[in-house]
Amino acid sequence: MKIVAVTACPTGIAHTYMAAEALEIAAKKLGHTIKVETQGSIGIENKITSKEAAEADLVIFAADVAVKEDIRFAKKPLYKVEAQKAIKNARLVVEEALKFYETNA
Amino acid sequence: MKEELKRIRVYLMTGVSYMIPIVVIGGVLIAFSIALSGVEAGKGANVTNPMLVNMLNIGVAAFSMMVPVLAGFIAYAIADRPGIAPGLVGGVLAGNVKAGFLGGIIAGFIAGYIARWIKGWKVPKQLKPVMPIFVIPILTSLAVGGLMIYVIGTPISNLMTAMTDWLKAMSMGNAVVLALIMGAMIAFDMGGPVNKVAFMFGAAMISEGVFTVMGPVAVAICVPPLGMGLATLLAPNKYTETEKDAGYGALAMGMIGITEGAIPFAAGDPLKVIPSIMFGSAIGAAVAAIGKVGDHAPHGGPIVLPVVDNRLMFIIAVLVGVTVTAFVVNYLKKPVTGEISGDNSFSA
Repeated sequence: MKIVAVTACPTGIAHTYMAAEALEIAAKKLGHTIKVETQGSIGIENKITSKEAAEADLVIFAADVAVKEDIRFAKKPLYKVEAQKAIKNARLVVEEALKFYETNA
Repeated sequence: MKEELKRIRVYLMTGVSYMIPIVVIGGVLIAFSIALSGVEAGKGANVTNPMLVNMLNIGVAAFSMMVPVLAGFIAYAIADRPGIAPGLVGGVLAGNVKAGFLGGIIAGFIAGYIARWIKGWKVPKQLKPVMPIFVIPILTSLAVGGLMIYVIGTPISNLMTAMTDWLKAMSMGNAVVLALIMGAMIAFDMGGPVNKVAFMFGAAMISEGVFTVMGPVAVAICVPPLGMGLATLLAPNKYTETEKDAGYGALAMGMIGITEGAIPFAAGDPLKVIPSIMFGSAIGAAVAAIGKVGDHAPHGGPIVLPVVDNRLMFIIAVLVGVTVTAFVVNYLKKPVTGEISGDNSFSA
């Protein structure tokens, strides 16, 4: 399964990146490919291109603030959680997102 | 490098797209409060009704943010989030040193490029979190702020004194040549230093009892917004959706003599728009000088008609200037290919 994710938090200096790292590890452990874009105070990093967005099966937003350029992910199954939750239990977030994908796709 | 040059228009349009609502708030509220109050000989806009005074103040508050927002979001387009804060600071300083919206554009580009450059520094992982909230904004603001104060501020005030003396000397000579020059000056930076010199000179002549200097200026003041507004109606395919919306605002502002209504167009495409409006304003002002149009109020646009001498020539001069502007700018501009919007274009 191809997953893309965006993480963002209000200050954008710590939680954004912790959530991103946690999601990457959890998704890979579960045997999926993932790319995580961070929208921190430095701006967008590891940007998901519109092509990558189009090819993805599932989109996860782990964000406490509005995600920029979310038009890229229109029409994709989109699972939203707080950034905090991805840091605490990224595996659960990914599993719930997959469940969401099965019931909605 | 060539890639980067192409992107400059995207940076400008990003800044403009965030600035347009502010220009519309300021322009329309100021225009409305002045339109309902009228313009008085010798005094200019005379807003006295308390509710209209408040409306005017709301509009002025919006206008005071115009240049900072333009600068802040040009920097945002270049450097993403770290550009915004230093860009805003640079924009406020551009206003303080009276550099107008052209100074704001310079501030935005400098802030954006410096912030982007510092973003690229290789720093130890432990330092990374303090870069975007501490190092980048403070270093960038110091750099862009220092530049605005030391490098841009002093030459501008010297230039303004020199231009004022020059106009004084010119006013002894041919009235039509003076009108051509002052008309072009009014349109050049719309509220910036060059515009202010011409406007203040015209206003000063009123207090000396000479009304035929302000007359052509009053025509030149309303030509840029009215001309650009007309241009968007004549060739809608050459303007983006946001520019077309700004066109209606510009028409309203032009009627009340708020030159700033044309700034969104000029900031988005300076090399084509500024020469067009300068040409149109100069021609309009020259027609007014030939027709010996006088203006008794330090204000411009059709709203001053009650305090104008030779009203028919005033109207003709405005129509000529507006038509010339619209045709020249539409001749220079190419149809837009694809909408350039504020948010998504710069990093896509």
